Amino acid sequence: MIRLQHVSKSYGGRPALKDINLHVALGEFAFLVGPSGAGKSTMMRLLYREEVPSSGSVFIGGVNLNRLSPRQIPLLRRRLGIIFQDYKLLTRQTAFDNVAYILRALGVDEKDVKKRVTSALNVVNLEEKANAFPDELSGGEQQRVGIARAIVNGPPVLLADEPTGNLDPATSLEIVQLLARISERGTTVLISTHDNTIVNAMRRRVISLRQGELFSDVDSGVYDVELSSASV
Amino acid sequence: MRQIRILARVVIETFLGIKRSGWSNWLVISILAIALTIFGSVLQLTMSLKNLVNLWGSQMVISAFLNDNYEPRQVARDVSQYREVRLVEVITKDVAWEDMKKSLNVASITNPLPNTLHVTVNRADQVEALAPKLKLLPAIEAVRYPMMVVKRINEFRHFVEIAGVVVTGALTAATLTVIGNTIHLVIQARQKEIEILSLMGVGHFYIKCPFVLQGAFYGAIAATLAMLVLLTMHLYVIQPYLQQELASLSPILPQHWGYNIAQTFSVMMLLGVAVGAGGGAWTSGRYIKI
Repeated sequence: MIRLQHVSKSYGGRPALKDINLHVALGEFAFLVGPSGAGKSTMMRLLYREEVPSSGSVFIGGVNLNRLSPRQIPLLRRRLGIIFQDYKLLTRQTAFDNVAYILRALGVDEKDVKKRVTSALNVVNLEEKANAFPDELSGGEQQRVGIARAIVNGPPVLLADEPTGNLDPATSLEIVQLLARISERGTTVLISTHDNTIVNAMRRRVISLRQGELFSDVDSGVYDVELSSASV
Repeated sequence: MRQIRILARVVIETFLGIKRSGWSNWLVISILAIALTIFGSVLQLTMSLKNLVNLWGSQMVISAFLNDNYEPRQVARDVSQYREVRLVEVITKDVAWEDMKKSLNVASITNPLPNTLHVTVNRADQVEALAPKLKLLPAIEAVRYPMMVVKRINEFRHFVEIAGVVVTGALTAATLTVIGNTIHLVIQARQKEIEILSLMGVGHFYIKCPFVLQGAFYGAIAATLAMLVLLTMHLYVIQPYLQQELASLSPILPQHWGYNIAQTFSVMMLLGVAVGAGGGAWTSGRYIKI
């Protein structure tokens, strides 16, 4: 589902990613780990086509992202669900409206919007807070609204960039377990994080980056912060 | 249906953007209304002068004096073939001589006058073009026409047109800057929202179109205000002045100056909407990177 072939990215001559080769299959659940500056966010930005690689190719569902025209980028992003560390919710809109926004912008009729948003809020167990505004919700609840928004359009891929960065450990684990449940329904989930507690608790595939290079890629792995690597 | 729903959402987003712009809406609308009022006044004055010249010109006659060797009615038929010609009247030398004898009490001498054609044109600006053509005809010895009045009015009209284009151009540039800045402020205020929409896969049309419509809305409101100003001036200032102060000149002034208010208003509305929408499109294209 996600494939990187010899991907390198540099900023003004400073390398951020070096010759990365990677494949994440349909329905797979994986962590992308590494210390700050390892290249996790750069890789995420390449995957949702916020940036293009300096060399190499990025594929999502067989589509080469390097070849997308600016007009095709929104079509790609509708097939991705993106979750952010800072939630990126519209503060003037309720939880329901935040989740509904993309559907309304795509011209989905209001009856269908209501059905799909209610279903997405059910998945994240937040249906009772549908009419609350973001500043009336806790951090964990806001992130669950962000997840509901990411899944409402039924994307085959979920990309979560440090989704637990602003949350306490217990809430972080809840969020990651929620993403794992979503993955069980066939969605490919890639979570970038430097939080070893949640990675080690889940025992899933761990892709480790260090100084822009692919350091290790281990199934059922853990994240050893001391070594900045993953090991079985 | 889907497209209609998207359009409806775009309109809703447009009005939310206008609501968020607050007082700066009125700043943009005021400046644009001033520019359009000046533009409309210039347009109206130019059209009135043009109509005035045409009305006078259409009553203006080119006198063509014929060689004695030609039959005046035949020459009149030839002259009437020109597309600029509205009417040709033949004044034979005998008729002209009788008229002159009656009015001037001249001595009994041989008739020295030529046969004459009085040629009326369709439009005033055709006088200067037609006269040299007539002069080239072998049957015509000389032509005369009251050139200076038409020329001066046309020169003045030309000056008004150029001055109008310069002033309107400068004000349009100023207006575009103000529209650009206002919409830029709205874009900055919505930067986070635009980033979220872009990352969620919302299309360029949906994100940028509200700013274009916002600009068009400014243009339409400003044009309406400018129209009201012009209409008020027309009804309560210009018309009473023409009727009262210029009453003594009424015999020589045309009775209908041909004020074409509807035409002026249509042009003002089109210009206002075009400038507004253009400003919105330019600003959103420049500042929204998706």
